[in-house]
Amino acid sequence: MIEYRNVCKTYGKKQVIKNLSFQIPDGQFVVLIGPSGCGKTTTLKMLNRLIEMDSGEIYINGKNVMQENPEKLRSSIGYVIQQIGLFPNMTVEENISVVPHLLKWDKERCHKRVMELLELVSMPYNEYAHKYPNEMSGGQQQRIGVLRALAAEPPIILMDEPFGALDPITRDTLQDEVKSLQQRLKKTVIFVTHDMNEALKLADYVVFMDQGEILQMDSPEGILRVPANDTVREFMGKHVHSYTQSQIICSDLMKRKVIKATEEKKTLECISIMNQHEVDSLVVVDNEENFKGVVSIDTINLRGKAGNSIRDLVETDVPVVSMETPAKTAFDILNEKRLNYVVVLTDTGKVAGIITKTSMSKALASVVWGDTV
Amino acid sequence: MTKFFDQYGTKLWEAIITHLEYVLVSVALGFVIALILGILLSRVPKISKFVIPVISVFQTIPGIVFIGVLFLYLGMVPLTVLIALTVYAVFPILKNTYTGLLNVSQGYKEAAKGCGMSSMQSLLRVELPLAMPNIIGGLRMSTIYIVSWAVLASMIGLGGLGDFIYIGVSTNNNILIIAGAIPSAVMAVGLGLLIDALRKKVIPKGLRGERA
Repeated sequence: MIEYRNVCKTYGKKQVIKNLSFQIPDGQFVVLIGPSGCGKTTTLKMLNRLIEMDSGEIYINGKNVMQENPEKLRSSIGYVIQQIGLFPNMTVEENISVVPHLLKWDKERCHKRVMELLELVSMPYNEYAHKYPNEMSGGQQQRIGVLRALAAEPPIILMDEPFGALDPITRDTLQDEVKSLQQRLKKTVIFVTHDMNEALKLADYVVFMDQGEILQMDSPEGILRVPANDTVREFMGKHVHSYTQSQIICSDLMKRKVIKATEEKKTLECISIMNQHEVDSLVVVDNEENFKGVVSIDTINLRGKAGNSIRDLVETDVPVVSMETPAKTAFDILNEKRLNYVVVLTDTGKVAGIITKTSMSKALASVVWGDTV
Repeated sequence: MTKFFDQYGTKLWEAIITHLEYVLVSVALGFVIALILGILLSRVPKISKFVIPVISVFQTIPGIVFIGVLFLYLGMVPLTVLIALTVYAVFPILKNTYTGLLNVSQGYKEAAKGCGMSSMQSLLRVELPLAMPNIIGGLRMSTIYIVSWAVLASMIGLGGLGDFIYIGVSTNNNILIIAGAIPSAVMAVGLGLLIDALRKKVIPKGLRGERA
């Protein structure tokens, strides 16, 4: 457990951390977030004493960090900073073994650990271990940055906007990887960001800071549902909005008339149904109306044979929502996956309807102009 | 030509050796001093703000003046030349070491510190390797300077290739001038190439092609 007790920090005349007290239980992913200059990075860096606090105490498992040797303290806490963190004069292997080296692990143990870690992120040892940072992409570099922090198996990892400089797609992948590593290895992670999406995606607890104070510390769900005050609400922007609106759920705006076909239907038959209704795919169900998947005209054209049934052409791995799902979720799915529609299922797995882009825009129009759906 | 070598061969050879000795000893000494001073100065930027400009001013004092002044105190001994040349060798290396260390991005220093490195470990494992291209650049500059400054040794009667040049100039003997000038030029180029080879060895692979 990490505990901050009445921690204060002043730069010149400006008090950047005001009497901060909070606790972080073991194994939690805690995200410090807030507008720039809110003190989140300072809060993070005081833990491994990269910044010394003026007054107050920080305890890690009951031990006051101020009473520890700062170098020893730092090597026992993983630390990941923005992209620049890897040492350009060292290979991947050397970079990862920096901390084990400082802790005087023998060569073999370091080597074994490097292999182990590279495997963890599926980067083959032979291919990557001897590369230099400038021979890799930003995403790969930061992956190594994370491994370096994990190398000496510290129970706590600090991350200071580690993915800020990456492109959105790489960032997304790395977020997933870090989250899954954290859960698998049961680490306590303290993560600084100013990106609310990132916070909501990763955090077990979000600590919202402003002007050196904690405005709210809660689960992502909690902070979305009841923002502590206007500053938090404003910062969360669109995220809060969708949740505090009286909830529109999927069954409110789905089209109940769905063009369906059973798996036994033949390919040409399906094409003619599609033509008739001017759609480019069909929802496939079994005889009890249970949802099976969808079949698109492209798939039939590509792989279907005249006279065969569509059974083998059905895509089963399509996103679905339930009737109670918030409409926002369906909206996000449509947007992110660039789909034309998403299927709505009943609790028993039968097809209840579909939400198309048209039904979605009608629903939006109703919110904006007050029409009925 | 043969006549020239018969007459001056041994002397020329001796002059080249003396000259080379001056250069190697003073650059080696200068390098060590400059490296240590550069590291110390980079740790206390506040003091460096005053020290570095003062050093730059010193560097503009002509070598002749400096050797002359030292000569008054120390007399006609090789030490006079070595001290003067060493001091001049220090400047470029010191300046480059200092700027090289200072230019190491704050991010790397913080990463080193955050990993638990002490100030010394950070210096040896991160900062010096990253500053190496700059430091070697300074060494190269110093060496080439000192090859030409070492000509001044003969001004106070201490040999080196300067002997040939001065005598040649004062007796209007072009062959003697050339006999002094060509070896010094070759020496400057040769040592420069040697340092370029060294540069390839000591600059970390990951930095090549990234910084000059």
